[in-house]
Amino acid sequence: MTALVQSLGTGILIGLVYALLGIAIVIIFKASEAFNFAIGEFLVVGSFLFYVLFFDYGLPILIAIPLGLLAAGIVGGLIEWFTIKPLLGRSPISMTMITLGLWFFMRACVQLIWGSHSYSFFLELPDITLELGGLFFLSDPIWAGIFSLATFGLVLIFLFRTRWGLAIRAVSEDQAKAMAFGINARFILLMIWAISAACITVAGVMISNFGALSVGSAIVGLRAIPVVLIGGMDSIGGALAGGLIIGISESLAGTYIEPYGLVGFKDVAPYFVMLIVLFIRPYGLFGTVRIERV
Amino acid sequence: MLSIENLRVVYHDVISVLNGISLEIKDGEILVIIGANGAGKTTLLRAVAGMIDFYDGDIIEGDIKIQGVSIKGLDSTDIMKRYGLTYVMEDRPVFDYLTIEENLKAASYSRWDKHVKTDMETVFEYFPTLKLLKNRRAGYASGGEQQMLAIGMALMTKPKIMLLDEPSLGLAPLITEELFRIIQKLNESGITIVLVEQNAHAALNIGNRAYVVELGRIVLDGQAKELIHNEDVREFYLGAGETKRKSYKDAKRYKRRKRWL
Repeated sequence: MTALVQSLGTGILIGLVYALLGIAIVIIFKASEAFNFAIGEFLVVGSFLFYVLFFDYGLPILIAIPLGLLAAGIVGGLIEWFTIKPLLGRSPISMTMITLGLWFFMRACVQLIWGSHSYSFFLELPDITLELGGLFFLSDPIWAGIFSLATFGLVLIFLFRTRWGLAIRAVSEDQAKAMAFGINARFILLMIWAISAACITVAGVMISNFGALSVGSAIVGLRAIPVVLIGGMDSIGGALAGGLIIGISESLAGTYIEPYGLVGFKDVAPYFVMLIVLFIRPYGLFGTVRIERV
Repeated sequence: MLSIENLRVVYHDVISVLNGISLEIKDGEILVIIGANGAGKTTLLRAVAGMIDFYDGDIIEGDIKIQGVSIKGLDSTDIMKRYGLTYVMEDRPVFDYLTIEENLKAASYSRWDKHVKTDMETVFEYFPTLKLLKNRRAGYASGGEQQMLAIGMALMTKPKIMLLDEPSLGLAPLITEELFRIIQKLNESGITIVLVEQNAHAALNIGNRAYVVELGRIVLDGQAKELIHNEDVREFYLGAGETKRKSYKDAKRYKRRKRWL
């Protein structure tokens, strides 16, 4: 019983980080129907930007975090400006292809600038390791959960409580209509990419904090694929649900299946769950049901 | 005054839709543009509203001027902010998943002044039904309500010139009548209206002047009231030409007649 609660708890904490990766994909998909395959590289670039500010320049963490997010947002915006913006109004497939190209391009850039070796990564956050009876939660995953949830909440507030959020939702529904009513769709798309890049960076920093940061960390970003496919590509709530499902299935597989000799099944379990969900609900659990007038 | 001079528009570099169209819109009038499907009416409005890029179209010749200043190549947002020109696209351009109130707010995005609330009340005065439904998602509103919302959204942008693309599309005749009454009222409040319509009879009845577009050119223009009685317009757009049945040989006359003027 303790083992079950333990792995559920661990799963939820890491799941919140995955949910953040999910929402980063979802807001871009909603706005332009393109899938950002370069998410892993965004994660690495964002984390390295934070690394430079925090470790190389030694800025205090409360300054380094907002500055790092801003830098990541600017990079995300610049990438959108040069690669995605010219394609406004064209097929979403071409945008998706662009992100595939970005994947390799950004990886090469990271290797050029920071090399391929690992950088040790340790945020000196207050120790909040939790020990309750037989349960034991490490400080880092708890912080990861807290930061991810807070970021997720901020994004939701931004989307549903501000005029830009309303504009984002309008553009997400139809770019042409939004433009006709004076919403600058090009600028809104830029903003979406910047927000997405900032979200990915928070997740990236949290994940790097578990161990080290290197070019190879990008692989974690691909966890976003099962997250959004399970939750539904265009559902923000689905990103949260998908993230939690992935996190929990991962840690349950680690606790109950790996001991039987299936080492590494932990990494496969999310895709297993994804397959099952897609068999039953091809649009994901919370994929949009199109509005039909009666 | 908005003037369009010898405008040529090409889609995807090869499909020529507007072949040198010229027209003039005077301040404060209701200008009606009628024409068959594919004549280029919607393209004309897109070009004027600065949205032709979005549809992969290009203005390859000619110019669009407002009060003598060229607006060719400007972004739709700029045109709206600087010249108060709002384009209401065809087929009820509302955001289905936003509530009616959110739709109106979204349309006021380009403004930063403090009168958004009072303007929303004005819209609700024009369209009282919208007020009752304001917390409902626009996708669930009826066709008439959606079209009224679309015009309400256009009003939220504080337009001086409003381009309406087939507002009567798919609406019952009674609703259309009400809608046109409101359009007339808006015009009386000082908004210049460009009305593109298939419903030629209703449109010509409220319009001041009218143009007939065919194959990307203006083929006929005049006072709206006169055009209703024009023999060709009656035959091709009002379906009420000569009463006696024609043979197919006579129907060909339409194709042979290349020059209207």
